[in-house]
Amino acid sequence: MTSHRLRLILWVLVAIAAVGGILVALQPPSPNSRETGLATIGGPFTLTAGDAKPFPSSRLNGKPAAIFFGFTHCPDVCPTTLARLVKLRRQLGSDDAMSIVFITVDPERDGPAEVGSYAGLFGAPVVGLTGKPDDIERVKKQYGVFSQKVDQPGGSYTVDHSASVFLMDRNGHFVATLSPEEGDAVALAKLKRLQA
Amino acid sequence: MILRTSTLAVLLLASCGQQEAADIQLSNAWARPTVGQVPGAVYLTIENKGGEPDRLTGAFTDHAAMAMVHQNEMVDGIAKMRMAGEINIPAHDRIEMRPGGTHIMLEGLRAPLRTGDDFDLVLKFRNSKDQTVKVTVTKPEGQ
Repeated sequence: MTSHRLRLILWVLVAIAAVGGILVALQPPSPNSRETGLATIGGPFTLTAGDAKPFPSSRLNGKPAAIFFGFTHCPDVCPTTLARLVKLRRQLGSDDAMSIVFITVDPERDGPAEVGSYAGLFGAPVVGLTGKPDDIERVKKQYGVFSQKVDQPGGSYTVDHSASVFLMDRNGHFVATLSPEEGDAVALAKLKRLQA
Repeated sequence: MILRTSTLAVLLLASCGQQEAADIQLSNAWARPTVGQVPGAVYLTIENKGGEPDRLTGAFTDHAAMAMVHQNEMVDGIAKMRMAGEINIPAHDRIEMRPGGTHIMLEGLRAPLRTGDDFDLVLKFRNSKDQTVKVTVTKPEGQ
């Protein structure tokens, strides 16, 4: 192959790449692309509280909320996260400074009584919520939460689940997440900003 | 030459024999309170003061139907809890079980754990004999 011919082939490839790039750039943004935006995390829902009565998310309005998805048969990550939220809220100065909300991703095992008594474990107000599996699925989707049952030896199962906490402002708008890995100093700064 | 080599071998063997076996000590065992049928999690410190490693192979308690060593993993923000295999306890080292990492899960508790309660937990090791530790049920916030 002569160098002339090789050069020609390379130029053709460059032209194809350029046309392809222009076509991609000209494509209208897909309608789904906004759904991953931060502003779309959350939204209104109605679930069931520990007293078996409907709990509309509007009841959380008026003060910030920390929302955590877990399950009551979770002995480590879930109580650790909820106890941490209770501790951080105390550092804000008042149990009234923020709602702490626990939403089960295991509605088959966690009825209203289960989430109610679990939420009562932390020596401070925690709202425990469950619902019909379809309703839980919808709320999980609203928050971009993943969960999946995993069988355990002995016939039981555990649930892999997103471990982040969603921080919502007093109007129910998503502001930030808290992750288990970040230190308490960062977490507390985020919570203080929520109060502003 | 042969004499020197065999002397060296004897010395090496002697030094091996002198090495103390694993010496396991358990401390600081605690669990958060539970409610209803939910499982509990025990955290504790396992110290090996000996010169040989050992392995934690299992846990038992009369207080629950099953005790299992579990490990938590965070993968892309997803918490995954799995049975741990045997846990290595290196010589002259310690394993501190803390929330969010390794714990001993108690499934089928005979009674929910209440703050202030305590109960015995037995840990089994590959080489050392069984060790019993008293688990204290803390306040909800844990340690």
